[in-house]
Amino acid sequence: MNEHIEQDIITIIADVSGFDAEEITPEKNFFKDLEVDSIKAIEITVAIEKKFKISVRDEDVPKITTVKEAVALVNNLLNQKNYK
Amino acid sequence: MTKVDGNRYDAIIIGAGLSGLICGCYLAQAGLKVLITEQHIKPGGYCTSFERKGFTFDAAAHSYGSHRKDGIVRKVFCDLGIDKRIKITRYNPSDTVISPDFKVSFWSDVRETITDFQESFPEEASNIENFFSLLVNPEPAFFLRIRNWTLKNLLDAYFKDDRLKSLLSHPVYGNSGASPSILSACMGAQIITEFLLDGGYYPDGGMQTIPDALADMFRTSGGDLKFSCPVQKIKVKENTIDGIVTSAGDYIQSRLVISNCDARQTFLELLGRDIIGADFFNVITQMTPSLSAFILYLGVDNHFHNLPKPGTSIWIQSQYNFENVDSAVKKRDFSDIGGYLTHVSPDKKSLISFINVPFINKKYWDDNRKQLSESFINKIEKDVAPGLSKHTVCEVVATPQTLFRYTLNYKGAAFGWAVAPSQLAMPDFRKPSFIQGLYLTGHWTTRGLGISGVVNVGYDTAKRILRNRMKRN
Repeated sequence: MNEHIEQDIITIIADVSGFDAEEITPEKNFFKDLEVDSIKAIEITVAIEKKFKISVRDEDVPKITTVKEAVALVNNLLNQKNYK
Repeated sequence: MTKVDGNRYDAIIIGAGLSGLICGCYLAQAGLKVLITEQHIKPGGYCTSFERKGFTFDAAAHSYGSHRKDGIVRKVFCDLGIDKRIKITRYNPSDTVISPDFKVSFWSDVRETITDFQESFPEEASNIENFFSLLVNPEPAFFLRIRNWTLKNLLDAYFKDDRLKSLLSHPVYGNSGASPSILSACMGAQIITEFLLDGGYYPDGGMQTIPDALADMFRTSGGDLKFSCPVQKIKVKENTIDGIVTSAGDYIQSRLVISNCDARQTFLELLGRDIIGADFFNVITQMTPSLSAFILYLGVDNHFHNLPKPGTSIWIQSQYNFENVDSAVKKRDFSDIGGYLTHVSPDKKSLISFINVPFINKKYWDDNRKQLSESFINKIEKDVAPGLSKHTVCEVVATPQTLFRYTLNYKGAAFGWAVAPSQLAMPDFRKPSFIQGLYLTGHWTTRGLGISGVVNVGYDTAKRILRNRMKRN
């Protein structure tokens, strides 16, 4: 499950950020490494929310500065959704 | 890239607005065979100029922002070689807001702007410092966290004085066609940063010189540009773009279509409900456009010297509630209007003034335009240009219907969708997930408006397309 999610998220980030999917490794920082500005950060978040049918809460935002963290957050939100 | 013959292109762009032209230039310069079709007789969309009785008027856009060292407009103009073709002057201050109690300006030097605001609102000095610091050094994570905030929420979080909030909101409202309680905080902040703190740029010869230079560059790079060529249909085969059909009935093939025209037109008319599906049909038919505008263009004689400062956008606020437009429109009288913009052309020969208004209908504006324009001229005369009516030798009025007629923007919307938090950065308005090979660019993409916004989207769209092609090849 994890791999699929990671791949889908990387595809979204690649599409919005302009970096090749191969360059987007789990440790990459959105803002420092991938030149993501405010509007691109929102585009990525909205696209992730739509793709996985989840809602990222405001308090979750500080937890997503790297690709790895984004994948963990999406996994977490999906798990919570499935338990409901 | 293989150049293909006859009626087949690597990419077709519908609409020669700035975003379409910029996207087209990048694609053509990368070697793609590109066609741009434009329904009007000239390029530019809302960034055009027209002539009447020897005067040149800018139709809507009358200056622009984000031309600083790292600004997106400067970058794109340099990339495409436009900077060598047109001379850009920056007018200082770019914007001045005048209310019954205050006069504050956005100066080329941000420090000067901060001081100007602090002198008017000393008790808010540190809030002003913090607010402008947030804008000058935008922290993406912060804006992500407040993505559901409106501009009003943001200003309430920083300031106490409602008059200061109103002075900051007015030019943003005028530059977005959405009130502070509707507009996304992120978009509002971007407008202050790009249009006001880095605004006031103007090309010698008028705004039309920008799209003209881009169109010329596009053709020089091998692109085809057809004017008076409305598109009737976007053709799709098995969920993949196959080309367009023009109103003249020509079927022009391409696997890539970029729509720089109105989003409703793109999805509801050029594609149709069967192709976009019921779900997306429901999404798009419930979306709200930005406001339109009532625009006055006045040419003055050589003996008139009471015009406000040329090149500066001057926002007049007779009241702190600048949104009392509906009642003024209903009363058919602009003499009490809360706020409006006046911009004198750098050659001091003409001025453009506008008020954000709703679309209503054609008949309404046909019946009332004269009465409204008279009251509007009287208002400008009283506020900032004594003697204006006596020295006016040319008067032209544009209503929401005029804006619609020239650009086909839904309800004459001056800035695409009203960029509310719920209408911000929606992926299907950039690259719809249900059709392969379709992109949107321009101010209907829910992620950028005004000149710097659409330039940014045009650049970004071209880069996305070229990257995807590179990957495939």
